[in-house]
Amino acid sequence: MPDDANRNVPKSHRFRKQGFSFERLIRYFFASNAGLTIVILVLIIVFLLKEGLGFFPGYRRELETYRIAGLEFVDISRKNLTAHEQLVSLLNRAYYAEINGRSYQQLRRSEEAAALFNAYTDQTGPTKELILNSTQEGQEAQPAMLAVLRENYEKQRAKALANLPATPHLSAKEREEIISALRTRTPQATDDPALVTRLAEELASTQARHAEPLQAFRATIDSFESASADLGSAIMEMTESVTSTKEALQNADILEKDRRTLLAAANNVDDPAEREKLLAEAKAALAEKPDTETPMASLMERKPDCIRLHEELAKSSAAILPQLPKSLAQGEADRLLRTAKKAWPVFLSDLSAAPAKISSWTHTTPVPLSAAVVSFLTGRDWITGGEWQDFYGILPLATGSLMIALVALTIAIPVGIGSAIYVNQFASPREQAIVKPVIEFIQAIPSVVLGFIGILVFGTVLRELSVMDSLQWVPGFPIEERLNIFTAGCLLALMSIPTIFSLAEDALNNVPSAYAEASEALGASGIQTTFRVIIPAAFSGILAAVLLGLGRVIGETMVVLLVAGNRIKIPDFSAGFGVFFQPSHTLTGIIAQELGEVPLGSVHYRALFVVGILLFVVVLGINATAHRFVNRATK
Amino acid sequence: MFDPEKLIRKGRPKGHIKEVLIRSLLAGTTYLIVLIAVLLFTRIIVDGAPAILSPKFPFVDLEFLTAKNETLHVFDDAQGTRHQLAASAYSRYVAEHQGENLYNEQTFSYSGGGIAGPIVGTALLTIGSILLALFFGVSAAIYLAEYAKQSPFIHAVRLAILNLAGIPSIVFGLFGFSVFVLAVPVLTSDPSDRSLLVIPLMIGNYAISFQGWNSSLMAGCATLACMILPVIITASEESLRAVPQGFRDASLAMGGTRWQTIRKCVLPYSLPGILTSSLLAITRVAGETAPIMFTAAVAAKDDLPWEGLSNPFGILSSQVQALPYHIYTLAARIPSSEYTQRAQYGSVLVFLILVATLSIVSMVLRARIRRKLKW
Amino acid sequence: MKSITTILATAAMISMAGAQTLSIKGSDTLGAKLIPQLAEAFKAAGNKGVKFEIAAEGSTTAFPALANGTAQIGMSSRKVKDDERTFCKTKGVYIKEHPICHDMLVVIVNKNCPVSNLTKAQISKIFTGQIKDWSEIGGTPGKISIYTRNTSSGTYKDWQKLAMGGRDYPSTSLKMAGNEQIAQEVAKNKNGIGYVGLAYSKTPGTKALSIDGIQPVAQNAKTYAYSRLCYLYAPDKPTPEAAAFMEFIESSAGQAIVQKVGFIPN
Repeated sequence: MPDDANRNVPKSHRFRKQGFSFERLIRYFFASNAGLTIVILVLIIVFLLKEGLGFFPGYRRELETYRIAGLEFVDISRKNLTAHEQLVSLLNRAYYAEINGRSYQQLRRSEEAAALFNAYTDQTGPTKELILNSTQEGQEAQPAMLAVLRENYEKQRAKALANLPATPHLSAKEREEIISALRTRTPQATDDPALVTRLAEELASTQARHAEPLQAFRATIDSFESASADLGSAIMEMTESVTSTKEALQNADILEKDRRTLLAAANNVDDPAEREKLLAEAKAALAEKPDTETPMASLMERKPDCIRLHEELAKSSAAILPQLPKSLAQGEADRLLRTAKKAWPVFLSDLSAAPAKISSWTHTTPVPLSAAVVSFLTGRDWITGGEWQDFYGILPLATGSLMIALVALTIAIPVGIGSAIYVNQFASPREQAIVKPVIEFIQAIPSVVLGFIGILVFGTVLRELSVMDSLQWVPGFPIEERLNIFTAGCLLALMSIPTIFSLAEDALNNVPSAYAEASEALGASGIQTTFRVIIPAAFSGILAAVLLGLGRVIGETMVVLLVAGNRIKIPDFSAGFGVFFQPSHTLTGIIAQELGEVPLGSVHYRALFVVGILLFVVVLGINATAHRFVNRATK
Repeated sequence: MFDPEKLIRKGRPKGHIKEVLIRSLLAGTTYLIVLIAVLLFTRIIVDGAPAILSPKFPFVDLEFLTAKNETLHVFDDAQGTRHQLAASAYSRYVAEHQGENLYNEQTFSYSGGGIAGPIVGTALLTIGSILLALFFGVSAAIYLAEYAKQSPFIHAVRLAILNLAGIPSIVFGLFGFSVFVLAVPVLTSDPSDRSLLVIPLMIGNYAISFQGWNSSLMAGCATLACMILPVIITASEESLRAVPQGFRDASLAMGGTRWQTIRKCVLPYSLPGILTSSLLAITRVAGETAPIMFTAAVAAKDDLPWEGLSNPFGILSSQVQALPYHIYTLAARIPSSEYTQRAQYGSVLVFLILVATLSIVSMVLRARIRRKLKW
Repeated sequence: MKSITTILATAAMISMAGAQTLSIKGSDTLGAKLIPQLAEAFKAAGNKGVKFEIAAEGSTTAFPALANGTAQIGMSSRKVKDDERTFCKTKGVYIKEHPICHDMLVVIVNKNCPVSNLTKAQISKIFTGQIKDWSEIGGTPGKISIYTRNTSSGTYKDWQKLAMGGRDYPSTSLKMAGNEQIAQEVAKNKNGIGYVGLAYSKTPGTKALSIDGIQPVAQNAKTYAYSRLCYLYAPDKPTPEAAAFMEFIESSAGQAIVQKVGFIPN
C-alpha cells in the first residue's frame, strides 16, 4: 500500500516526509474511530459490572440484617398465619359462593336493574349538577338560563335512555318500569327508583333465606378464623420490636457511611479549621453499635410461647376439618371447599413442622455471599420499597419475559415464515411490491406507539371479546385484567414479524437457484420444490431469523412496560391455558419502571443493573447463536 | 399404436388441491399482516385526524403542532356551554369573566395546547445523535472498508459491532445513565460529591470532575448515538464497498494519496447511499423511548429548550421533552376520555406520520440510488 | 482517541452553563396535576421568566434529586425519612419542610360495584390479600383486583402504614404508574379496587367508598381515616425562583388553586 509504493523515494525527501506523517495521522484517526466501537462495548460491560457487582454484598448485608434483627424469625410464624388466612378466605368464598349461587336469579336481576340506573346517572350527572348548582346558589336563578340547562338535561336524558345496557334477566315489564321511572325522574331526586330498591331487598332476603341452612358452616368458619387471633397478636408484638431493631441497624449503617464521607472530605481539605470542623462532625456521626442482643434475647424468650401458639392452632385446625360440610351444592362453592380441604393437610404439616424450625432458629448463623446469589437467582419474590423487608428474586420477572416471548413467537413464527415463503416463492412481483413495503413499515412503527395501541385499544377489545357468551369455551375467559401476557405477546408478535420475515426471506433468497431448477427438472411441483428442497436448504437461515426475533422480543421494553400489567408474581400455572391471560412483569419492564426512582447506589439500584447484566448476557447469547447459524447458512 | 398424447398428463396434476390449499394458506397469513397493519393505521388516523386537521385552510391544525403543552381545563359556564381551554387560555378566560361561576370543572394534565415541546425535543435529540453517529460511524466505516487488513484488531471491531447491534435498548438506557449521566468528565469549579475522580487544573478553581452531564440533551444524544453506531457503520461500509475498485486504482495510479483517493473518488460516490441508510437510523432514533427515559426526557416542561437561557450552550445541558416519551406519558399517566383523545391520538398520529415519511423517503431514495448507480 | 477527548472536553466546557430553571421532582400525587397548574398560574401571575421542569415519578425520587442538586424543589406525599434527610446532609443540602396541603387517600371501586361502605378492618384485609372475593364483603361475586401505586410512591408507603398495618401488599396486586392510571383501570374493571388522592377520586366510571361510614369529602378531613399532609421540600437556602414559587403556593391565590384541583388547603 502507500508505504510500500513510496519505498524508492529517498528518506529525506520532502514528498515522503509529508505523505508519511499526514497519511499516518489520517489512518490513525480512522482506526481510532473504528476502535470506538470496542471502547463502547467495553464501557457498557465495565459500567454494568461496576454498578451491578456491588449488589451481591449489599444484598447479603440486607439479608444479614433481616436475620440479626429477627425479621426472619417472625416470618416463620407469619408464613403460617398467612396460610391460615388463605384457608379462611377459601372457606369464606365457598360459603358466599354457595349462597350467591342459590340466589343467582335475584342477584342478576338486582345487578341489571342497578346497571340501568347507573348508566342513566352517569350520562346525566354533569347536567344535573349544573341545574342543582344554579338553583341552590339561586340568588338570581334566571328563568332563561334554567330553561337552557333543563333542555341540556333532557338531551342527556334522551341520550342515556337510548343507550341503556341489555337486561336479559328482567322481564320487559320490569325494564319498562325502571325506564319510565327514569323518564320522569327530576334532577332533584336522590333516592333510587322503586324497582331497583325492591330488587335489592328481594336479593337480600333471598340471601338471608339461603344462609339459614348454612349456619353451622358459618359458625365453623368463624371459629376457625378466630383460632389464630392469639398467634396474630403475638406476631404483631414481635413485629414492632424487630422493625425497630432493623431501623436502628440501618441507621447505624447510614451514619457509618456518613462518617466515612466526612472523613474522606476532611482528608481533602487543606484549611486546618475546616478540617477540624469536618473531623468533629465525623466524630459526632460515629454511631454506637446498636444493641441487637437485648431485643434478640427477649425475642428468643418468646420461643416457647410461639411454639405453644402453633401447637394450639394445629390442634384447633385439625378439629375443624371434620366439621366442614362434605360437599356443597353449587359447583363453584364445592370446588373452593375441595381446594381448602386439599390444602388442609399441607397446612397442618407446616404447622407441626414450625415448632422444630422455631426452636432451632438462631440469629448467629452467618449469611454467606452465596445465599444472596441464590436468593437473587431463585427467589420467587421481588418486593421493593416495602415496610418489612426487600427481596430481590428474579424468577417472577424472568417467567414473565419468557411467557410473553412464548406467546409472541407462537404467533410470529408461523406468520412471519409463512409470509416469507409466500412472498419469496409464490407471490407475483406486483404482490411483492405491496407486501414488502407494508411489512418494512410495520418495522418502523415505534414500540411506544404499539404499547399505546395496546393500552387504549387492544386491551379493551380483548376484554370485550372475553365476556361474550359465544367465546366462553376459550380457557381463561372471561379475563380478569385487560393488560396481560397475551395482550403484550400479541403486540410483540407484530413487532417481531418484520424481523423474522425479512431475515427468513433473505435466507430463502440465498438458496442457489440451481436447487430449484434441478428440482423442477425432475418433475417436482412448486410446492414440492419449496418444501422439500428450498426450505431444507435455507433451514439454518430461517432458524437464525427466529432466534433474532426472540432476541428482539426479550429485549423489548416499552410494549411490555405499558401492556403486560405489571404484576410481580409468577403466574398461576394451575389455571391451564388461562395462565396466558394473567398479568405479569418483565426483566426489561422492571428496569424502565424502577430505575428512575431509586436512590443512586442503593441495593435496589444495583439490583436493576444486575437485571440489566442478565438481559445483556441472555440477548447476546441468543444473537451469537443466531449468527452462528447465519454463518453456517452462507458457507 | 404409439400415441404420444398419452404421455402427456391431462387435467389437474395429482395433489393439485393440496397445492392450492397450501398456497392460499400462505397467502392468507401474508395478507393477514397487511390487513392488521391497515386496520391499525386506519384506527389511528380516524381517531387522530380530528386533532391535527382543521376545516379551514391550510387544513392542518397548526396550533396543535406549534403550541406548548399545557393542562386542559374543561368546564361549563353558567349558560351550560362546555369549554375546553388550555391553561393559558383558561387564565385569560377567567380574567375576562370575573365573578362568573364555572361548573363541573375538570382538568386533564398534558392534554391542552399542542405538542411543540416534544416535537422540538425529538428533533434535537435526533439531529444531535445522528450527527455524532455519522461522524464516528462513517470514519470507522472508512477504516474498515479502505484501510483494514485482516488483523486481530479488525476482528475485534467487527465482533464489537455485531454485539452492539444486538444489545436491548433498555441496556443502552442503563449504560447511558451510568456513563453519560453520572460518570463523564465536566469542567467545573464545584465538583459534586458523587464524582468518580477529580483532577484539579491549575487555572483558577477549575477541575475536571468525572460527575456526568446529568439528565440532559447531551447525555441523551450520546446514548442514542452509541445505539445506532453499528447501524451506521454497517450501512456506510456497504456503500463504500459498492464504489468500484477501479475508481480507487485510477486515482492511486494518478499519484493521489490514499486520503485524496478517499476524499475525491470514494466518498462523493458513496455519500448518497450513506445518507439514505442513515435516514433509516433516524426513524429508529426518533422512535426509541427506553434509552432516553433516564438520560434526557422529562414529562412536563413549559418552555421550549432554547427559551430563557443565559447562554446558547445551555440548551445542551437542559432536559427536553420527546415525542415517544410524551406518548408514553399520555398512555400511562392520564385517563382516556373524550377530552384527552385529541392529545393522545393526535400525538401518535403526528409521530407516525413523521416516522412514515422518513421511512418512505428512505425507501424511495434507496430504490433510486440502486437504479442510478450501476457501475 | 484524540478526537474523543476533544469532544468530551468541549462538552465539558459546555456543561458548565446553568440555565435558571426551576426543576421540581417527586410525588405523582402532587406533580401530575396540582404543581403543573400552580406553575401555570404562577407564570400567569407575572413570573414569565421562570422555566419549569416537572418530573413526577414518586416521592422517593425527590430526595436524591435534591441532594444531587438536580431539583430545586422536591414534592412528597409523605414525611421525609431520617435516612433520606441524612443522605441529603452528607451532600451538603439541609432540606426544609413546607407542608402545602392536606390530602385524603380515597378508596375507589368500579361504579357498578354495589359496595359503598367498608370498615377499616375490611380495607386492611382486602389490601393484604386476606379477602379475595367481592362476595366476602357483600358485593357481586368476582375476584378482587387490587391496583396499587408503584414502589417509589409516597402514597404506596403511606397506604401501607395507614391502612395495612405495615404488612406487605400481596403479589397479586398490580403496580400502576400514577393515580390517574389506577382510576382508569378501576373504571374499566368491575372487580377493581384501588386508592387515589382526593383530587383523582372523581374519575368517571369509579365510585369513592365511605370508610366506617365517613365519606371522603373535604369537610371530613379531620375524621376520615386516611388523611395525610403533602409537603414540598427545598434546601434551607432556596433559589430566588423556588422561594417565590413557594410563597405563591402558600398565598391565598395558590391555596385557591389547591382547593380547586381537589386538595384540602392548609
